[in-house]
Amino acid sequence: MTLVFFVPFLLLTAACIVVFGSVGSQRARAKMAAYPIGAAFLGSVVTLYLVATGDPLEIRFYNLSSVASFAIPIGFYIDRLSAVMMTLITGVSVIIYSYSTGYMYQDRHARRYLAMICLTDFVLICMVSSANLMMLFLFWQVLSYLLYVLAHNHAHAGTLAGAFKTFTLLRVADTALLAGIALAYQLYGTLEFQELFRRAADTPVVLSLWPGMEMTGATAVTLLLFVGAMGKSAQFPIHFWLPGSLFAPTPVHALLHAGIINAGGFLINRLAPLFGLSSTTLHVAFLIGTLTAILGASMMLAQNDIKKTLGFSTIGQMGYMIMECGLGAFALAVFHLIAHGLFKATVFLNCGNVIHKARQEPHFPHVDHQVEEPRLSHLTWFTGSVTTLFIPLLILLVTHGVLRIPLLESQGTVIFLFFIWITSSQAILTLTRLRQVASWKVSAAMLSTLLFIVFVYLFAVESFTEFLYPNPEEVAFYFKAAHLPGWLFDLIIVTATVLTVTGWSYLYITAHGIALRMPAWIDSVRIRLYLPFMNRLYADELYGLLGQVFMRLVHQLDKRERGWSR
Amino acid sequence: MTESDFIPWLLAGIPLVGALASLPFRSDPERLKQSCVVWAVISLGSVMTLAGRIDVPAEGLLSLFLLPLAAMISILGQPAHVDHRASWVLTLLFLGLGLSALTIRPPVEGIMLTILLGLVAGLLYRHDSALWPRSWWGIGAYGLGAFCAALSVASEAPISAGASLLACAVLLPLLPFHDGYLTALTRLPGSLPAFMVVLLPLAGLHGLVAVMSSVPDVVAWTVGLFALAGASYGALKALAQSRIRLLLAYGSLSFFSILWWFASASRIITPRAALLVGTVGLATNGLIIAWQVVRTRYGDDVDPQAISGLASGMPHYAVLLSLLALAAMGLPPFGVFAGFMGLLLSSPFPSSAGLLIALLAWLAASWYIMQMVQRLLFGIRRPELRYTDLLGAELASLLIVVLILLALGLAPATLFASQRPLFGTVILGESPTWNR
Repeated sequence: MTLVFFVPFLLLTAACIVVFGSVGSQRARAKMAAYPIGAAFLGSVVTLYLVATGDPLEIRFYNLSSVASFAIPIGFYIDRLSAVMMTLITGVSVIIYSYSTGYMYQDRHARRYLAMICLTDFVLICMVSSANLMMLFLFWQVLSYLLYVLAHNHAHAGTLAGAFKTFTLLRVADTALLAGIALAYQLYGTLEFQELFRRAADTPVVLSLWPGMEMTGATAVTLLLFVGAMGKSAQFPIHFWLPGSLFAPTPVHALLHAGIINAGGFLINRLAPLFGLSSTTLHVAFLIGTLTAILGASMMLAQNDIKKTLGFSTIGQMGYMIMECGLGAFALAVFHLIAHGLFKATVFLNCGNVIHKARQEPHFPHVDHQVEEPRLSHLTWFTGSVTTLFIPLLILLVTHGVLRIPLLESQGTVIFLFFIWITSSQAILTLTRLRQVASWKVSAAMLSTLLFIVFVYLFAVESFTEFLYPNPEEVAFYFKAAHLPGWLFDLIIVTATVLTVTGWSYLYITAHGIALRMPAWIDSVRIRLYLPFMNRLYADELYGLLGQVFMRLVHQLDKRERGWSR
Repeated sequence: MTESDFIPWLLAGIPLVGALASLPFRSDPERLKQSCVVWAVISLGSVMTLAGRIDVPAEGLLSLFLLPLAAMISILGQPAHVDHRASWVLTLLFLGLGLSALTIRPPVEGIMLTILLGLVAGLLYRHDSALWPRSWWGIGAYGLGAFCAALSVASEAPISAGASLLACAVLLPLLPFHDGYLTALTRLPGSLPAFMVVLLPLAGLHGLVAVMSSVPDVVAWTVGLFALAGASYGALKALAQSRIRLLLAYGSLSFFSILWWFASASRIITPRAALLVGTVGLATNGLIIAWQVVRTRYGDDVDPQAISGLASGMPHYAVLLSLLALAAMGLPPFGVFAGFMGLLLSSPFPSSAGLLIALLAWLAASWYIMQMVQRLLFGIRRPELRYTDLLGAELASLLIVVLILLALGLAPATLFASQRPLFGTVILGESPTWNR
């Protein structure tokens, strides 16, 4: 039990080791601080083992029935979800910190930066292991400020503006979260997680916002909390703080994209029993997630900067993760955010090398393999068709028959399978296009590898769901709460499938110089859309304009009201 | 005279004696400052020793501890200059008046408030400059406050309750009686603005304890309306200010208006209210002292954008100003956040619109205070400016403010007196009050 308490404090110790000491020993201290972080990771792994084999761990430094408690109730509640997040955060932190000691070597601000990284890890760990909503909110806000500090550079105007934008946008979301917390306390009289869920389920409350418009208490609370989650997870329309913070050092992005941005998904999962009480909120989450996924991915395709491309890729992935939550597939969302976090941290830590190498070698990436054949071979077409049409059918059959997942009842699983299909097919078709696969061996190897990965992925997800939510009834309850009308869900799936297959066909045919008779207006729309997406839908400009208009109004008001004190 | 009657006189008398005892050093600013600081510390020690032996006011004992502390910090943060001598002695005088208003029973409490408000009005009449011309609105507000305080002593209910409410509205600024507060923060000399920002609101809050429970519903509703208007007005005006002292005055007005709204809704004043008022006052006190540091180096009313880049030239100052800003904008783990959350979770919301305005005012603080900090600390370092980091006394005063704000954010709730627990209170079964 005490071991758990040490995990966050090891990270705080690491920060102290970096900060306190002479300038001469700075390098040695920076290296030494990696050990407590490593120990925190080991502690998290042991914690994960403890909670996986036993009950959740609880430590409270306040007494629920006594007034002799701290103004801010500090306590830890670590269940499987918290332990998984702790392991992810500390694991990624070990890598990022070790990388950072080399990356920031001889930088003037290395000490401040490394200490901030340790402090951010500490705050993240405390946040995911909070015993109540109040403590979670406390660390949630501190995280907003730390993000501002990490993303800014004293002397660079662009960075400062980006950091300020990040802070103000996150504060807007924080305010909604605070309103949700205050409302939850007013309605249910507690902010303790388990007690809150029990009271919310036992006591349905109806609120009257204005005459004729009523809303359940759970819906009002979860909608406000969801806006808070939207901020940290960069959901449309408060997503544009993420590209604005891209001036920060590369390891900060690794931490941001692997850890901090997952806070929204974690919050929804932590409060899953509350969100499960409101179908309206889950449907709103599905809508926002879908919009964010589409817009994020579209904007990613139009970017010409590696960091911005990765940033918008993260926005798209977070949209997908929120969409999964909106479909009641909470465990899938956590699985997704872990997989995405590990992948994106790796990519961010590598992107600096790629840029550096590209600067040194003008021909990097190498182009000698890109000599394409004038036409696609039959084998290539065959591989592509099997990948796009046969594999999804096989996945559906196996899922339905072998895993006995009721596909018709769990829309989240269907969406997840859809995701596997699109991403894997996209990957293999890209390879096909680049390498012009014309060998049976290569095709067979690709297909078998793909099948292996897909099925391992499926089994892993199923096992993970069982691990995180051992009660199947609970999982079924969430799916039921999030259930969309059948016709709407079918429409979404069919439309997305048709659009995807049509898009692929168009792209791969035109990429090989085959002329397609397309109506002129389609080309015109494509070109017209490219510009706004490349400019990130002018969201930054819109934000700036809104700010200017608001400030102009404020100044006009100030001038009209001369102020008695002047 | 019983012990509980005598001790308040003793607490109030110590700073007054200190003011008199410091006068012989008036020819030597350094010694005068030292003497005033020592007397403020003695006053703090006496409060800490004797506070447990007096009747605990409804808002708790926090106000009593904060007043001598704020006086000590305000004097300590000033440079030892001949121009500030009077302000240090007056700070001790006002400390004595403030302690007597908080601890001595009526009618002396009302008389002390009358003297306090009258003195402030007199000081505002005396102190003006080309930069900050004499404000008759401000003098008038404090004149009205003094008159109302005197009337509340001399008359019977319901006139006394109304007069007392008006006096409280002048002390703990409430729209449209806030102009006195604004002028006090901008016109008063030396250490007085930094001290007044703690003293006046806490004195007003103490007066509210008796008033809020006795005013009719319609008056409380009107007060709530003015409070919401004041919260929005203060936040909007703060956003438009380029002068730091006005920005801080309007920003704190916005926070005090939030307190008025909660008070009008719940009709009671709890130690949580004192925590919010005291910490908002203390955070503003710290920011005024921090601005005084800049004024000492670069002149009064210097444009913040003209002195960018302090973060690299004055790192200690930058760290402390950032922490004070965090506290002032209501971020954890500082006292303003604890007070705000305490009120938010323990008071009923009469309207969702009111809650929205209160939260927006809280949000706006992040904007204008962060903007102020960015202007001062960041940007390119200017080679023509000479950067001198905090001197010993300045560092000590700002550090003490930060540590106290931190302690108040984390301290046990019992420190401020008993009240219902923040957590674990069951309200199930009650009809929700959160509606239109």
